[in-house]
Amino acid sequence: MSAGTPKSLASSGQKPIQEICHPLGAEDTASVLTPSPDVGNTITSIGGKDLSLPNGTPVETSSPASSSSLLNRLQLDDDLDGETRDLFVTVEDPKKHVSTMETYITYMVATKTTRVEFDLPEYSVRRRYQDFDWLRTKLEDTQPTHLIPPLPEKFVMKGVVDRFSEEFVETRRKALDKFLKRVADHPVLSFNEHFNAFLSAKDLNKRQGLALLSKMGESVKYVTGGYKLRGRPVEFSAMGDYLDMFTQKLGTIDRIAQRIIKEQSEYQVELREYGPVYTTWALSEAELQGPLEGVASCMANCSSALDELTQDMSEDFLPVLREYVLYIESMKIVLKKRDNIQAEYEAKLEAAAFRKEDRASCTQVPTDVEKCHDRVECCNADLKSDWDRWQNNKRQDFRQLLTGMADHNIQYYEKCLAAWESVIPLLRDKQPQETETEED
Amino acid sequence: MMADSGPEEIAVIGNTDLTSAELENNIKNTMVEIEKWTSLLRKMEISVGEAEKRTGKNTVNMQEIYTVYLIETRPVDAVTEGIIPAPDSLWRRYSEFELLRNYLLVTYPFVVVAPLPEKRAEIVWHKLSADNMDPDFVERRRVGLENFLLRLACHPVLCNDKIFYIFLTEEKGWKEMVYETGFQAKADSRLKAMNAAFRVKNPDKRFTELKHYSDELQTVVSQLLRVRARVADRLYGVYKVHGNYGRVFSEWSAIEKEMGDGLQSAGHHMDAYAASVDDILEEEEHYADQLKEYLFYTEALRAVCRKHELTQFELEMAAQDLASKKQQKEELVTGTVRTFSLKGMTSKLFGQETAEQREAKLQVLEQQIEEGEEAVKEKNTESDEFVKTAWIDIEHFKDQKDRDLKEALISYAIMQISRCKKGIQVWTNAKECFNKM
Repeated sequence: MSAGTPKSLASSGQKPIQEICHPLGAEDTASVLTPSPDVGNTITSIGGKDLSLPNGTPVETSSPASSSSLLNRLQLDDDLDGETRDLFVTVEDPKKHVSTMETYITYMVATKTTRVEFDLPEYSVRRRYQDFDWLRTKLEDTQPTHLIPPLPEKFVMKGVVDRFSEEFVETRRKALDKFLKRVADHPVLSFNEHFNAFLSAKDLNKRQGLALLSKMGESVKYVTGGYKLRGRPVEFSAMGDYLDMFTQKLGTIDRIAQRIIKEQSEYQVELREYGPVYTTWALSEAELQGPLEGVASCMANCSSALDELTQDMSEDFLPVLREYVLYIESMKIVLKKRDNIQAEYEAKLEAAAFRKEDRASCTQVPTDVEKCHDRVECCNADLKSDWDRWQNNKRQDFRQLLTGMADHNIQYYEKCLAAWESVIPLLRDKQPQETETEED
Repeated sequence: MMADSGPEEIAVIGNTDLTSAELENNIKNTMVEIEKWTSLLRKMEISVGEAEKRTGKNTVNMQEIYTVYLIETRPVDAVTEGIIPAPDSLWRRYSEFELLRNYLLVTYPFVVVAPLPEKRAEIVWHKLSADNMDPDFVERRRVGLENFLLRLACHPVLCNDKIFYIFLTEEKGWKEMVYETGFQAKADSRLKAMNAAFRVKNPDKRFTELKHYSDELQTVVSQLLRVRARVADRLYGVYKVHGNYGRVFSEWSAIEKEMGDGLQSAGHHMDAYAASVDDILEEEEHYADQLKEYLFYTEALRAVCRKHELTQFELEMAAQDLASKKQQKEELVTGTVRTFSLKGMTSKLFGQETAEQREAKLQVLEQQIEEGEEAVKEKNTESDEFVKTAWIDIEHFKDQKDRDLKEALISYAIMQISRCKKGIQVWTNAKECFNKM
């Protein structure tokens, strides 16, 4: 098990910050602090150091917990191509564990990787929901400026939902799988030590105290920072607005999907009564018996096709929608955190300016304020790259979700079509012996 | 009239239904003109073209709005000669169709007379209007009325009926003509006969089976129509809710950059999907109408079975009457009294009759027996004749039913296939749009 920040990114070819030469050494240099909407062009300093890549491109540094956003951007494209992915994670094989104290489900978390941060190329560990929850909390704590993917709902009402039903467990497994994959695909989060531990350790040495804290508890600390924000950059306001509107739309879509499922179920009820009437009718007919029974069995086929459609929509469609709502909530919290960091910086800056006026001599910006400013810059950069990444994922996820919905419906209609087409020859067959055909 | 003949209701006796003699006469009359009419009707185009609203005063002198239907006829000959003359036409309202049908029912009791379309829209799914003035209902009724006339025109017996012919060709005075036939009285007694309770000892088994069959058919088709209407209701709901996707995708596309176009187009397809159900269900009503026709046909079937029971019953009564008279004669001749009769008792109590009295009685009885034998012979012929002609028509009906219902099922299946194909098309289009997101 490796600890600390990543030493190298094996297959991507990019070097981490720590390995890049610092041509200016450890000189103290005054720097110009500029707000930077454009991530790649900022020149900042930490402790007066100017950092740049060997080719001269300025590099933005950030707090030790995260790597540069430029690297993030460069890696973004690679990850999307999937060519340079070096970490594969899946969640599979749910099993029930019964102990004297409690009954719970564990999932097998399988990892395949070529990263040197891992001692072995493959891992297979059993984890339960609590462990995922612990991981998420840890990620939030250690990467406060990054967007952590959401987990499926923690609490389920006992008696309303069966925690051990196949459907529930499968839905949860899919969501947990998605969670880990999103973390694994994230250029920063995937190198987190806790993530590593989660994937590889036999026993997670969780500190129970943290594990018991709800997700919201930790986040609240960041949300109510106590500072008032002056001017939020437009882009972050736009993000907030977008998220609000998007949540609304998702809510509407969820309601529509549920309504459709309900209508389909009611349609199903009637359909189940419809077919058998044809069977009853067939009993009193001679020539028509075959055709009527054919129609009845056709109806039965359509009915079971509808069953499958409804089930697919319930299992595949709705959970993903709901998960995105959670994702948006996480995103909003990150935005709030950013706001607070900026507010803190602004407050300190103001206070420093105040004191400066008093002394009227000091030209140097206090390091405290500088640190705050750096934090703001880093946070903004992380957020922006995470936002882009999130938008991209969102686009892919929804494309997949909606095409999936279309596919389910197409399959349903194809099954029904096949059923009805197979009935036609049966209906046309067995013409009565035509001795003399007068009319027609 | 009959003497005591048991507890059965005998009000039916004395009905003025067509006797076999009358029937024969009728057939003779029409036979003469059969050549002219059959050929004309078989070569005549009949259609119920339009419907219009009229206002007028009804029987209680109140204003009413009613619909009239345009009946157009044209000899097929004229068309084939290259000239297409304008068709002859007249207007009829629904009640006149009813009158025609009632007349035919009474006049040809051995025929399974085609039913009329519904007077009022019943067993409809809720979005479909149950209003008689609704244009869709009126249109479907128009089709039904045309179908009714065509069924009559194709029927080997009914097509030759004079009243039917005039219904098609002369607007004024037709109603009066119908009433002049005196059919109303027959109709009334027929109604009584239908509702009376009597027990037949030896009905033709085929008719008993037919009656059971028509009862079963009525039950099952009613149920089928009811469930179908509910299914249509639900299907409507499913399609229409998808329209909401159209709206929300449109709204959502407004806040997206790259995803916007794909979403917007997909939304349009969802709207189209939701809108498509109206036509689909309107078409399905045609299937329901075909089923309804046969549902109403069961009534006509039952009427024919009933008529058989009636004729059979009359035959049995006549035979019973004859038997009783014969027995009375025997008793008179041999002097023994086997059956209890009031006359017998009184004569026992109050002394025997004179030889002349006995002779007179004997003569009366012999006369009655002669008449009775005639009656039985007549009833027998009537019954046989009825069974024969009715059964021909019933076999004809059965073949027609099997053909028609099979066609109805086929066209229903084709409707479903078309609906499935449309569904595949819409969702494939939507999927393409989603892929472009």
